[in-house]
Amino acid sequence: MSRIGVFICHCGENISRTVDVERVAREVGLLPGVAFSTDYKYMCSDPGQNLLKKAIQEQKLSHVVVAACSPRMHERTFRKAVEAAGLNPFLCEMANIREHCSWVHENKEEATVKAVEIVGMMVERVKKNRVLPTITVPVTKRSLVIGGGIAGIQAALDIADAGHEVILVEREPSIGGHMAQLSETFPTLDCSQCIMTPKMVDVANHPKIRLYTYSEIELVEGYIGNFQVTIRKKARSVDEDKCTGCGVCMEKCPIRKIPNKFDCNLGMRPAIYVPFPQAVPNTPVIDRENCTKFKTGKCGLCQKVCGPGAVDYEQEDRLIVEPVGAIVVATGFDLYNITEKPKGSMIKGYGEFGHGKIPDVIDGMTFERLASASGPTGGKILRPSDGKEPKQIVFIQCIGSRAREKGISYCSKVCCMYTAKHTMLYHHKVHDGQAYVFFMDARTPGKAYDEFWRRSIEEEEAVYIRGMVSRLYQKGDKIVVMGSDIAVGVQVEIEADMVVLATAVQPQAGADALAQKLGISYDKYNFYSEAHAKLRPVECATAGIYLAGACQGPKDIPDTVSQASAAAAKVMTLFAKDKLEREPIVARVREAGCVGCFACKKVCAYGAVEEKEIRDRQGNLIKVVAYVNPGVCGGCGTCQATCPSKCVELDGYTDEQIVAMIEAL
Amino acid sequence: MKKKKMIISRETMDVDFVRKVEALSGTSVRRCFQCGKCSAGCPMATFMEHPPNRVVRLLQLGQWQRVLAGRSIWYCASCETCSTRCPNKVHLASIMDALRKLSWDLDGPSKESYVQLANKIFLDNIRIYGRQYEMRLAAVFNVKSGQFLKDMMLGPKLLSKGKLKMFHSKNKNMPEIEKIFARIEEMRRKGEAL
Repeated sequence: MSRIGVFICHCGENISRTVDVERVAREVGLLPGVAFSTDYKYMCSDPGQNLLKKAIQEQKLSHVVVAACSPRMHERTFRKAVEAAGLNPFLCEMANIREHCSWVHENKEEATVKAVEIVGMMVERVKKNRVLPTITVPVTKRSLVIGGGIAGIQAALDIADAGHEVILVEREPSIGGHMAQLSETFPTLDCSQCIMTPKMVDVANHPKIRLYTYSEIELVEGYIGNFQVTIRKKARSVDEDKCTGCGVCMEKCPIRKIPNKFDCNLGMRPAIYVPFPQAVPNTPVIDRENCTKFKTGKCGLCQKVCGPGAVDYEQEDRLIVEPVGAIVVATGFDLYNITEKPKGSMIKGYGEFGHGKIPDVIDGMTFERLASASGPTGGKILRPSDGKEPKQIVFIQCIGSRAREKGISYCSKVCCMYTAKHTMLYHHKVHDGQAYVFFMDARTPGKAYDEFWRRSIEEEEAVYIRGMVSRLYQKGDKIVVMGSDIAVGVQVEIEADMVVLATAVQPQAGADALAQKLGISYDKYNFYSEAHAKLRPVECATAGIYLAGACQGPKDIPDTVSQASAAAAKVMTLFAKDKLEREPIVARVREAGCVGCFACKKVCAYGAVEEKEIRDRQGNLIKVVAYVNPGVCGGCGTCQATCPSKCVELDGYTDEQIVAMIEAL
Repeated sequence: MKKKKMIISRETMDVDFVRKVEALSGTSVRRCFQCGKCSAGCPMATFMEHPPNRVVRLLQLGQWQRVLAGRSIWYCASCETCSTRCPNKVHLASIMDALRKLSWDLDGPSKESYVQLANKIFLDNIRIYGRQYEMRLAAVFNVKSGQFLKDMMLGPKLLSKGKLKMFHSKNKNMPEIEKIFARIEEMRRKGEAL
């Protein structure tokens, strides 16, 4: 026989104003199984909690119902108090008579009757509560960081500095990401390479960081604290241990005219290459698609000239398995492609801007390479078509962004600022040139951002024209820009030498495939979703996986670095304990009844459902059933609602309990 | 008025003129970010084809001809509400002053408005007579503006009330008056006054 104690809170006047709490205590006290009932003005206060603890001990209570506010508010408080009194905390339930009753009703008589019913339901439910042990999970104190841009670098350095091992995986041959491509950075105009490359070197030299470049994530298994990650280390064709980075192979390679992706295809590179001179690691990679040796079997020049004998044509992809406890995803962004309409995408492209068929219409990143001192033009602003210096340059903002009809409705956040920066860089480099910017709004929230934008107009003589451009077309060697100035209310026409489109920030290609491997959610644009937009902005809904940088949404460098450090802090919090404690509100499968349809596996948002084989003593397979990994389960109950044979049950919310609650009405 | 398309280039944007306006008015045209607060509070905006914010916008694009061709600057009452309320410290009333002065220097009386003509005859009268001679002002204005019968019926009424005199009376101290005019002309030559 259970001895249930019911504690009814006045919540000051919040509840007692519309509910006769003393009557509720009296009536509930008569319910079968209730051994004690009382009311108090502030149950959550120190004297209130002491009253509860004392009653548990003196009345030898077996279960507790606290009738007060929402469990979201004080369930933890009362369960702690119950635990302190020597009872299992999961034998305490809350009846919500504030949000669900006193706050929404006016009639005291009716509200009191309803409060009695609510408490009565919880009394029936708590009778069927089980003693639940807290789940503990071991933690592997190593972290995986996916993506070697500024976000990944910052997160890796922070975690490694705290003394934990970090595995940094980068898809490209070098770390650095997009930030290494930039010329100067807003709002201070410091050179991107100058602030970026030292961090890259720090990563390479850090004893706690293991760097895998030219590698991709193949498979992710496990759960928080205990992931098993398989990394595919693509064949570089150059032995990283032997290579000294002398660069002779690159000088001798006869294939020289391959557009360099790092330079936005403006510059050329050989078939054996490093993407840029400051690359980390400074080990070349053979582009097998373009290498004569791999295409025809002849050549082999690089192997002949290589002093240490590092060139290895036989090298194959390697799969490496690494156990880690936490994962930071920092895969970054890519720019909306202006040159073609992506196949099968919801994005429509810009026919009115020629889909990039006009050679001197370029995107923002290409302009960065033109303006960069280490770029293909050595920092001179020159037209890609004929190498002339453009005297009239037009920048157009919001290309792709904020264009629902074209497929993207969000703001890319960084373009207003980088376009203002571009006008300044242009003004510094082409003194007799004139920059024009077509824009809809200038969005410059950030420290010293608006001042920076105003400076481009007031001091650096950029002419900003509010209004979008309708069309671009080639006329001789000029590009005619047809726009309008909505402040004046007339059409505007500019014959430009070069046009720069501020194209939208999008997630990296393949972001969705990686998300599926990791079991994290993403939105319709493939940006990864955080657990809570405001209060958990760096965590995924999947435990143990954290987000940093533009893979979560468009972000500038300061925001990216902040988020990367925040993600690192979250990882360190996880690693601070040897064992993880989890709330035991998890689903359990009744294996005898499970038919192995795995409907639960399909609906599970956390990837917690696994397949489990049941064998007899001889080892013969009897059947395959579902198994919920308690380390991963989020306790949402979707599996319970889905199971056709009613064989999954969420502790604390079993069907038996719900039915008992309904019957109490 | 038909709105002509703007062709913008280094050549069509007359930056020199705008610099002159900035020098005369002592305020920056580029500072304006087109919030529209000046136009919102302008008591004369309904009479202008270019409301105050657009006057500044056209100047930013070096399109001063469009401003001077219109009557906006002449309808400005110099009440300075725009300058008082501007969030970005653009002294628009001074810009209007500067524009009126430059318009005067450029092509004499504006075709769009007779304000300039009236101003000119008014000041000529002061210079000749030392005080205003309304009969001459009205007559010369009507002849020069080509509106011979304008306000003719008001004449007798004003005459009977003594507001309009048939003959002028001259100031006794004409050399002093001339000194004032000469000094202002001198200051203008030196660029010290509008």
